[in-house]
Amino acid sequence: MSHDTLPRPRPRPGTTGERPTGPPPAGHRRHWTKRANPLAGLGSILWLVVVLVPIYAMLSASLTSQDKALTGNPLSPPTSPTLDNYNTVLNSGFGHLLGNTAIVALAVVGIVLVLSVPLAYVAVRTRNRWSGLAFRLFLLGVAIPAQAVVVPLYLLIAKLDLYDSLLAVILPTAAFAMPVSVLVLVGTLRDVSEELYEAMALDGASPQRMLFQLAVPMAKGGISTVVIYAALQAWNGFLFPLIFTQSDGPRVLTLGLFNYVSQFGVNIPALLASVVLSGVPIFAVYLVARRALVGGLMGVGGK
Amino acid sequence: MESINGRSNGGRPTGGGPGEGPSEGPSGSPGGRRAFSRRWVLGAGATTLLTTGLTACGSDGDSGGGGDTLTAFVYGDDAAKIQQTAVDRFNRSGAAKSAKGRVKLERIPGAEYPAKLRTAMGSPSAPDIFFNWGGGSIRDYQEAKQVVDLTDTIGNDPALKSAFLPAVLAAGGLGGRNYGIPMRGMQPVILFYNKSVFAEHKLRPPTTWDQLQDVNAKLKKAGITPFALGGADTWTELMWLEYLVDRIGGPEVFAKIQEGDASGWGDPAVLKAAETVKELIDDGAFGSKFSSVAYTNGGAPAVFAKGKAAMHLMGSWEYSTQLGKFPSFAKNNLGWCAFPTVEGGAGDIRNVVGNPTNYWSVNTRAGNKDAAIAFLKDCASRTYARALVANGDIPATSNAAELLDSSPNPEFAKFQYGMVEKAPAFTLSWDQAVGSDVATPMLTEINKLFVGKSSPSEFVSALKELK
Amino acid sequence: MSAPSPTRTPPGDRAGEHAEPAGSGGPHRPRSRPRPRAAAGRPHAAWALPGVLFFTFFAVVPMGLAFYLSFTSWDGLGDPEPVGLDNWRKLLDDDRLVQSLWLTVLLTAASWVFQTVIALLLGVWAAGRQRNRAVLSAIFFVPFLLSSTAIALLFYALLDPNFGIIQENTLGSSGGAFLAIVFVGGWQFIPFHTLLYQGGARQIPEVLYQAAAIDGAGRYRQFFSITLPQLRHTITTSTVLMVVGSLTYFETVLILTKGGPGTDTAILPYLMYEAGFKSYDFGYASAIASFLVLAATGLSLILVRLTGFGGMRSTREGM
Repeated sequence: MSHDTLPRPRPRPGTTGERPTGPPPAGHRRHWTKRANPLAGLGSILWLVVVLVPIYAMLSASLTSQDKALTGNPLSPPTSPTLDNYNTVLNSGFGHLLGNTAIVALAVVGIVLVLSVPLAYVAVRTRNRWSGLAFRLFLLGVAIPAQAVVVPLYLLIAKLDLYDSLLAVILPTAAFAMPVSVLVLVGTLRDVSEELYEAMALDGASPQRMLFQLAVPMAKGGISTVVIYAALQAWNGFLFPLIFTQSDGPRVLTLGLFNYVSQFGVNIPALLASVVLSGVPIFAVYLVARRALVGGLMGVGGK
Repeated sequence: MESINGRSNGGRPTGGGPGEGPSEGPSGSPGGRRAFSRRWVLGAGATTLLTTGLTACGSDGDSGGGGDTLTAFVYGDDAAKIQQTAVDRFNRSGAAKSAKGRVKLERIPGAEYPAKLRTAMGSPSAPDIFFNWGGGSIRDYQEAKQVVDLTDTIGNDPALKSAFLPAVLAAGGLGGRNYGIPMRGMQPVILFYNKSVFAEHKLRPPTTWDQLQDVNAKLKKAGITPFALGGADTWTELMWLEYLVDRIGGPEVFAKIQEGDASGWGDPAVLKAAETVKELIDDGAFGSKFSSVAYTNGGAPAVFAKGKAAMHLMGSWEYSTQLGKFPSFAKNNLGWCAFPTVEGGAGDIRNVVGNPTNYWSVNTRAGNKDAAIAFLKDCASRTYARALVANGDIPATSNAAELLDSSPNPEFAKFQYGMVEKAPAFTLSWDQAVGSDVATPMLTEINKLFVGKSSPSEFVSALKELK
Repeated sequence: MSAPSPTRTPPGDRAGEHAEPAGSGGPHRPRSRPRPRAAAGRPHAAWALPGVLFFTFFAVVPMGLAFYLSFTSWDGLGDPEPVGLDNWRKLLDDDRLVQSLWLTVLLTAASWVFQTVIALLLGVWAAGRQRNRAVLSAIFFVPFLLSSTAIALLFYALLDPNFGIIQENTLGSSGGAFLAIVFVGGWQFIPFHTLLYQGGARQIPEVLYQAAAIDGAGRYRQFFSITLPQLRHTITTSTVLMVVGSLTYFETVLILTKGGPGTDTAILPYLMYEAGFKSYDFGYASAIASFLVLAATGLSLILVRLTGFGGMRSTREGM
C-alpha cells in the first residue's frame, strides 16, 4: 500500500548485495560532489527547517503541561518540562499496543517470506504456463488498493470468525504485502546466474537445496528489502485494524493512536507524547541499523 | 488515567449521536413519531405501549457472546464510568449469581461507535448488550432480528415499568414495542453562555433574535466571538438548524420531513433558517475558524471556557464536559438559557430539540438472556439514578425530580428538568430521526451550507433531493 | 554423478560481494552443457501454490466479492440482496463521485510535483559524499520513521486552530485542507523518494560529467543535460510509487479533515468508507470500490506497459 512499487528491470543488472548504494570505488572522485553548491546547500537548510520545526514543536509540546499548552506559545521551549504526558500515555495501555504491532509485524514478515520466496523462485526458475500466470497475478495485484476490498474482506473475516482478532489484521496485511514482495524477489533472483544452478544440478542438488543454498543466500538483498517492506506495511497499517478489530485485545498502535484523538482531544501535549512514543522503537532500530534499513528501502524502489 | 475531556470527549455521547457522526448511526424515527409532546415525554401512566405476555426472549440463546460472560458495548466517553460501576456492582450481586452470568464492559472509543457496533453485530463476535440511541439507531438491528423485544419483560415487571418516564422508555423502541432500557441522562440542547463575559459587557442572555443580534454586535465590538462552534463536527452545526427551523416554522416542519416527505425541506422555514445561518456566518457570529474547530476533541469547549467565545449551543452534556475539563469555569461562570425566539416565527421558546437519552439493548444471540435482562434492570435502581445525578445528568426515571437536589449543580439540574418537562414539543435530533442513508448526505449538505460551499437555496434544493 | 566441479564452492560464500560479478550479466559465456541437465533441477510449479492460494483468497476473491456486492443491497446485517444495476446507476449519477475522482487526480498530481521536485533535488544533493550531506540526509529521513497515522496526528495537533502552531482556519478551508494533505503526505514520503534519487544519482557514470566539464558545461547545464536524463528510470520508479501510494491518503484524510470542509477533500477511498461504514450502504460502497479496482487495474496495466515491468524474462531471454 504505502510503498507499493514495482521493481524496474535493470538496464544494468546490478548488485544483489544489501548495500545497493555502496560507494563505487571512484565515487568520491566525482567533481560534482566535491564542489560546494551554495544554492543547494541553502535549499537543504530550508528543508531541514521544514523537517525539524514540526519535530521540535512535537517534542517541546509533549514536555509541556496541558494548562500551559492551552495558553502559551507552542513554539517556545517548555519552561518547566514535565514527563506527565508520557506517563499519561504509558498508562493508557501503550505497551500493549506496541506489543500487538510487533506481533503483527513479525507474523506478516514471516508469512510473506514463507510464501513469496518459493513463489518468486518458481517464477524465475520454472518457465511454464502456470508460473507465468502466477507471476502475472501478482503483477496486477500490485495496483489493487487495499481500501477497495475492505468491505468484502470484512464479510470474509466475519464468516471465518476472525473478526476482532490479530489474525484479522495479519492475514490481509500479509496478502497485500505479497505482490511487491514477489516482484522484488523476482527482480533479485533472476540475477542469479544460470550457471550456478547448472553447476549445482550437475552435483545432483535438489531444487530445495538450490533454493536454500544458492537462491536464498544470493537474494539476501531482496529478502532484506522484503522484510523491511512487509514490516513497514504492518507498522503503517490502519484501515484493516480500523475495520476488522474493535476491542482492546487486538488493538494495534496505529489504531490506538487514532483513538487517542478522541481520548486526549485538545490535550495536545498527551497526543503528541503518544506520537513521540510511537516513533521511539523504530527510531531505535534506525540508530542501530541505519545502513540496513536505508539499503533495504532502496530495494523497494527496485534498486 | 486522568480524563482530560469531559464525558463528551468522544463526541456527542449522550446527546445527538454518535461522536463525529450522528451521521453514522442513528436513524429512523421511532415508529413515525415526530415532535414529542410534553405528555409524550413526561406524561405519567402511559400504558399504551404495553402488552401482556411472557418474558420476551426473541430466540433461543446460542452463538452470541458465549459462555456465562456477557459482553456489553458502551460508548467510551467519560460517562462510561457510571456503567463500569454498575457492571462491577452487578457482577457482585445476587442477581448475577442466580442468573449465572457476568458482564464485561467494552468501551468503544466514541467517534467510531456506530460503525464499530455495526461491524461487530455483523460478525460472530457481536456484543450481547449494546448501548444505542433508541428509535432509528436500532431499526436495522430490529429488522435483522438482532435485538430482543423487551416489551413483555417491562410489562411483567411493575418495578421496571414504573421506574422510567413512559415516553422516554417508548423512544427506546420501535413501532410500539420496547427494545431498550434508558441508561443515561436526558439530553436537550441548551444555549450556554459565559457569565463573566456577559457581566463584563453588561449583556443579558437573549430571548429574541433581535436581542441576540444586539448581543452579537456588542461582543464583536469587544473582540469576542459570539458563539463557539465546533464546525469540524457537523452535528454541532445541525443543532443550529434544528432550533432555527423550530423557532421559525414550528415543530410541524420537521415532523413532516421525519415522516418521509422530502418535500418538507421545501418549507419556507427551512430556507429562512438557512438564510439566517448564512447571515450569522457572514456576520462573524461564529468567528472565522469555526470550520476547523472540533467539538469531539474538546476544541470548541476550550474556546468557550477560555472566554474566546461568549456562547455555545450544545447538548446538556456540555455541563459535565466543562466540569471535567475546566471545573472552575463550570462551577462559577457557566450560564444557560433557552434558544431565543425568532420574531414572527411560529415556534414556542419552550420547544426543545435534542435526544431523550441512551439505551441498553440486548442481542437476540446473547448466550444468557436472563443475566442480560437482570443487568438491564439495575438501571431502574435508585443507586444507578443517583450515580447519574452525581455526574450532572438528569436520569429519565420517574423519581428524577426528587434526586435533583443531590446534583453537583442543582440549579442546572432543575433548569434542565423543567425545560424538558414544560416543553410543548421535543424534536428528535434530525440525524437520528431520518434513516442513516439520508443522515450522512444531509449532514454533508449542512456542512456545505456552513462552509459556504452552497447557498441557502442550493441547500434547500439539495435536501429535497434526498430520499 | 559427482564429478568435481570448479563452481562447487559452498554457495553461501557467493553471497554478498561475490554476488555481483556472478549476477552482473553481460553476455553470458556460451555454455557447453546441454540444456536438459539444468532443467532437471527446476522446482515444481506447485511450490508457488501456497502463495498463490493465499493471495487469491485474501485479495482476488474479495475483489470478485466486491463486484458481486456492487449488484446487491446490503446493510451489513443479514444477507446481501440482489438489486441489479441500482448501485452502478447511482454511481454514474453521483456528482460526488465526479468531484471525488477529480480530487483524487488533483491530489496525486499535486503530491507528485511537490514530492518529485524536492526529493529529486535533495537526492542529487545528498548523493554527494561530503560529511555534512550525510548527516543532513540522516536527519531528513526521520519523518519516514513515523507511521502515517502518527504523522496525521502530529499535524492535526500542530494545525489546531486555537492551540496549534499555525492558528489559522487551515483544515476548515478548502484550499488549506487540500494543501495540508499534500504537505503532510510529502513530509512523510519525501525522505523515501530522496533515498531513491540518491541511489540513482550515485550510479550515474562519472565520465559523463567529466566529458561535459571538458565541453565547458556548467553545473546547471550538467544537471539538466546529464543528471536528469540519467535519472529517468528512477523518476519512473518513484512516480509509480507515488501514484499507487496516493491512494493511501485515506488515514490522513480521515484524521485531518474527515473529507471536509463540505466534500472538498473526500477522495475516492474516503467516499467508499463513508458510504460503507457511515451510511451502511455496503452495496454502494462496493460499487465505488469496484470502480476503484477498475481504475487501479487500468492504471497498473498502463504503467506495466509504459515501464516494461512485465518483461521479467527479458534479462534472461535467449539463453
